Amino acid sequence: MDLNLRWGVFFISLWLFAACAPVPRQPSVDDLAQMHTISGVLVGQSELGGELYMPGDVLVPAHSTLRLRPGTIIYVLPAEGTKIDPEYLSPETELLVRGTLQINGTVRHPVRFIPLSVPAEGEPAWAGITLANSKDSRIEHAQIEHAETALLLIGSSPEVRSNQLRFNRYGIIAQQGSAPLIIDNVLEKGEAGIFCWLGSHPQLVGNRVADHFEEGVFADASSRPLLQGNQISGNDLGLVLYDQTLAGDLSGVSGNREDLRLLNFDQGRRP
Amino acid sequence: MRLILLVLLLCCWPVAESRADTEYRGEQSLWQDAVWSGRVLVDGILTIPSGVTLEIRPGTEVRFTRRDTNDDGIGENEIFIQGVLRVLGTTEQPVRFTSAEAGPAPGDWGAINIMASEEENLLEHCLVEYAYRGFHAHFSNASIKNSVFTHNLRGMQFQESTIVMDGGLVESNFNGMQFRNSEVRLNATRVGDNYWGIRCVYSDLTMSDCEVAGNLINGLNLRDSSLDAKSLLVAGNRKGIYLQRSRGTLENSRILDNSEHGIFLEESDVFVNGNLVAGNGRAGIRWQNSKGRLRGNLLAGNGQYALINDGEGGVDARSNWWGTTDAMAIDTFIRDAEDIVGMGVVDAGNPLAVMPASPLTIAQ
Repeated sequence: MDLNLRWGVFFISLWLFAACAPVPRQPSVDDLAQMHTISGVLVGQSELGGELYMPGDVLVPAHSTLRLRPGTIIYVLPAEGTKIDPEYLSPETELLVRGTLQINGTVRHPVRFIPLSVPAEGEPAWAGITLANSKDSRIEHAQIEHAETALLLIGSSPEVRSNQLRFNRYGIIAQQGSAPLIIDNVLEKGEAGIFCWLGSHPQLVGNRVADHFEEGVFADASSRPLLQGNQISGNDLGLVLYDQTLAGDLSGVSGNREDLRLLNFDQGRRP
Repeated sequence: MRLILLVLLLCCWPVAESRADTEYRGEQSLWQDAVWSGRVLVDGILTIPSGVTLEIRPGTEVRFTRRDTNDDGIGENEIFIQGVLRVLGTTEQPVRFTSAEAGPAPGDWGAINIMASEEENLLEHCLVEYAYRGFHAHFSNASIKNSVFTHNLRGMQFQESTIVMDGGLVESNFNGMQFRNSEVRLNATRVGDNYWGIRCVYSDLTMSDCEVAGNLINGLNLRDSSLDAKSLLVAGNRKGIYLQRSRGTLENSRILDNSEHGIFLEESDVFVNGNLVAGNGRAGIRWQNSKGRLRGNLLAGNGQYALINDGEGGVDARSNWWGTTDAMAIDTFIRDAEDIVGMGVVDAGNPLAVMPASPLTIAQ
């Protein structure tokens, strides 16, 4: 086979591969019944792809791993806000990871989490993804929308790279000693972008945090985020800090109602 | 030779886990009233049927082996009570419910599981640890006094039950207390250092002299419920008090140093009176489409704002203490229609000129 033919076959194969990746849609009940269902406890090593149906909470326990292949679509069934059992951390449908989560999306084939219905007036449709004392997790090229918190990191330090987090109440929360690398993500159009709580020290590099109703990035007095080359714009408060030295180069913080808000507890003469 | 014998003896010495005065293995039922004392080992599921009373004497230690047949990380061995449970620990001789494992972990065993037991169950001076659900009840009544629930996946969980808890400690569980369709009274109880502190739906919760502190997500979260609370300390949680479609009163309490909001009212109707709300990160109070009033509170020293109105309606926040009586300064502590189009107005009129003298300032 000559070289041109080889290249031709290669590109046709590539196109076919791309064409075979699932495309987001509004699945019918019959469609959902045909999909692989993930719910409950995923013990051991799981690698999943294609279209998945998530009708309830999923727990990846410690020492277990969930890998999602490029192009995976997870259709999430919103739960009644009143459920308390079974449930792990949130009353809403959630993916809770105490083990390892590897989301291996790509530019062309992101991994998408799509709620099957979206409540009115900005209420979250599902809880989102929680990593609690998770080890070795990586979240790359995921699209997460309409969650209470797209990524809640508790004592967890994953790499969070090139994701699109839109229309969530909170984009990313890093708390309780979390030190994730959060790089090149887009967080837009939620209540708030990134929170650093309770002694967390994430690296926030090259993210776009825009158009949130409240804060773009908020770090509490106990947290020490590294801020580098982020574009923070169109939020109510762009950057909220207790320690101005954390702000670094503010050139990317612009066009917010208030770009930088420095807090101190003496405000209002605390009794 | 004697040395070898000594080593053999030590190696073969029965470890603590294997010694018990009473042992229950597999699925068993108690068919008549029973009294436990000393050491009890439960290596299975033990049922106390309707009409049978299990009394547990002071100083008893009840241990559960770990059996996880589906590898979900949750042990299944437990006691299942349809009759009556009376746990009679004392200060000097508490009753302990724990794991029999050498390296115990949350979720090693199931629960003190009470089902449809409407006679008064009593747990007094207990320590409950390393369970999936330390205390679990459906359609039951229980009085829990001076007891500790710690290192469980869920400290306490109940539905359709009436629970009175006095002098309790629900600490360092994944979830502290969660309940639904229940009537609950908490007095002098601490719920702290859990992921979620207290959370409930469709319930009536009365609290006095309680502490809800250091919980990583929400301290106190009610949905479609009522709250009658006074003399609380709600401190160092992510959200302090979060009420959704709920109603009630909050009085004479200290809401301090929560990372997000001290109090978040969402479509609720609450009278917030005489509280100290200070040091909370995002705002002291966030008010969203709620009714009620704020009166006589100390709203000062919070992070971004003392009060946020995120709803279209107004907020009656007259006669509170803001740390100043300067209207311009007070304006900077409030976010409302003046700052964001479409939001309602906060009426902060008649600000208190003197910090209210109250029990609030005694201990900070």
